[in-house]
Amino acid sequence: MTPCAVTTGFFTLGKCGTMAVAGCPSCGRALCADHVTEGGLCPECAAANNRFGHPAAVAAYRRRAYRHRSAGVYQDTVWYTGFDSYDRAAFDPGAAASQDYLDDGDDALVDS
Amino acid sequence: MADGHRAAYLAFDRFPSAKGSAVHIRHMAAELFERYQGGLLCVLGGGDLPAYQREGGVEIVRFTEVVPNLLDRAEAFSAWAAEQLAPHRDTLELCHVRDPWSALPAMTTGATMVYEANGLPSIELPYAWPHAAPATLAKVRELERHCLARAAAVVVPSYVIKNAVTDRGVTPDRVHLVPNGADPAPADVPRPPDAPGRYLIYVGALQPWQGVDVLLRAFARLADLTDLDLVICSSVSPNRARPLRRLADRLGVAERVRWHYQLPHDDIAGWLAHAELSVAPLTACDRNVEQGCSPIKVWESMAAGTAVVASDLPVVREVLGEYGRLVPPDRPAELARAIRVLLEYPQVCRDLGENARKHVLAGFTWKHARARLADVYDLVVRH
Ligand SMILES: [Zn+2]
Ligand SMILES: [Zn+2]
Repeated sequence: MTPCAVTTGFFTLGKCGTMAVAGCPSCGRALCADHVTEGGLCPECAAANNRFGHPAAVAAYRRRAYRHRSAGVYQDTVWYTGFDSYDRAAFDPGAAASQDYLDDGDDALVDS
Repeated sequence: MADGHRAAYLAFDRFPSAKGSAVHIRHMAAELFERYQGGLLCVLGGGDLPAYQREGGVEIVRFTEVVPNLLDRAEAFSAWAAEQLAPHRDTLELCHVRDPWSALPAMTTGATMVYEANGLPSIELPYAWPHAAPATLAKVRELERHCLARAAAVVVPSYVIKNAVTDRGVTPDRVHLVPNGADPAPADVPRPPDAPGRYLIYVGALQPWQGVDVLLRAFARLADLTDLDLVICSSVSPNRARPLRRLADRLGVAERVRWHYQLPHDDIAGWLAHAELSVAPLTACDRNVEQGCSPIKVWESMAAGTAVVASDLPVVREVLGEYGRLVPPDRPAELARAIRVLLEYPQVCRDLGENARKHVLAGFTWKHARARLADVYDLVVRH
């Protein structure tokens, strides 16, 4: 039996492991019946191909994006100050307190 | 996906991870998604984490673009998150965010926003990024103010950070206290097979403000207790421990310090439960004093029934109160003395641990935290 190679779980992640019935034509990973999407791809490749899932959702998004650009309803949510290149320079990788901060891809703004 | 999501949780933070923040996200997001029978989780990816997952009604999308500069990355995350949320604009009712760069895209949706302030980047950032200019941090503070002002409710884990948030213009009636919690360790959680006979334990990350150096110096003063080891369960990678390992070497205690890195969260309970004492040596820096933090390690030690020795800071006193031993921060000699005294009175230690455990069970498990969060949602969501 070939086990399904899709990663599942919320806090503790693991491979699905259910018996595979197909392979993803894009990345080749083995897929169980539950993890084959409509187009035959794995969920990750399907999402990458079509970021917004359903084509109808994409169309709706474009319409809305246009409407809001023209109506200017984002106004009060825009933060106008912005950071300049001087602000940014302090956050280049070489400017960290310790290079050790960077090597496990730790991005958090707030650590605990 | 026929219907859009009604709820979204956004965090500029990798999830899941071995850090306390991930435990927090896990429980808060679970409450949100249970309420709405699903939702969209936008977090940072990296490593082996998939860029996309679907778990029942929950969709998890992870930002995977490599952007070296932190501010650029934060802004790229915002733009990406706005794209993720856009298809759900018509259905989104509630967005739960943890930082300004999550709040900005949430604000474009028109949904009610709950801002969970566990820390404030304007206070936190200089510790990792010492070249950040005061003018830059003032902008970050202004950004925080901008986002906090637009939240229907601000959720904070401690009174200390409640003050920091109200300092940024949020009226106190919009700030709600939801202390962190811990789940009780099973009564018979086994002793880890590689655990030494008698040991002190530190659980958490290794940034300077955690005070692990103070703990190592204190431990060096306990050299006469030859049967006592120090176990450090680091939530970060071995690279980050290099300066501290060098310090342990210099202090001559390296052989009695056992390092473990990024253990799965489920394994920590056993390490905590079988320790003599758990130590939280947080330093008295601005970050801990003004902003506070949410010392999940203190909660988890208490839940494991292990006595805690911790720095006497407002944020720790709030959690530990009379259920542990408070010592002046940044004072290795005082810390060593407190540890020595407690080790000489094992019954006192056991009582402290047992009372702390009961206190957590009675009001501060994650179930309690989730119920408090649910109350906040009830308050802000229109029916
Ligand atoms: Zn694939
Ligand atoms: Zn599967």
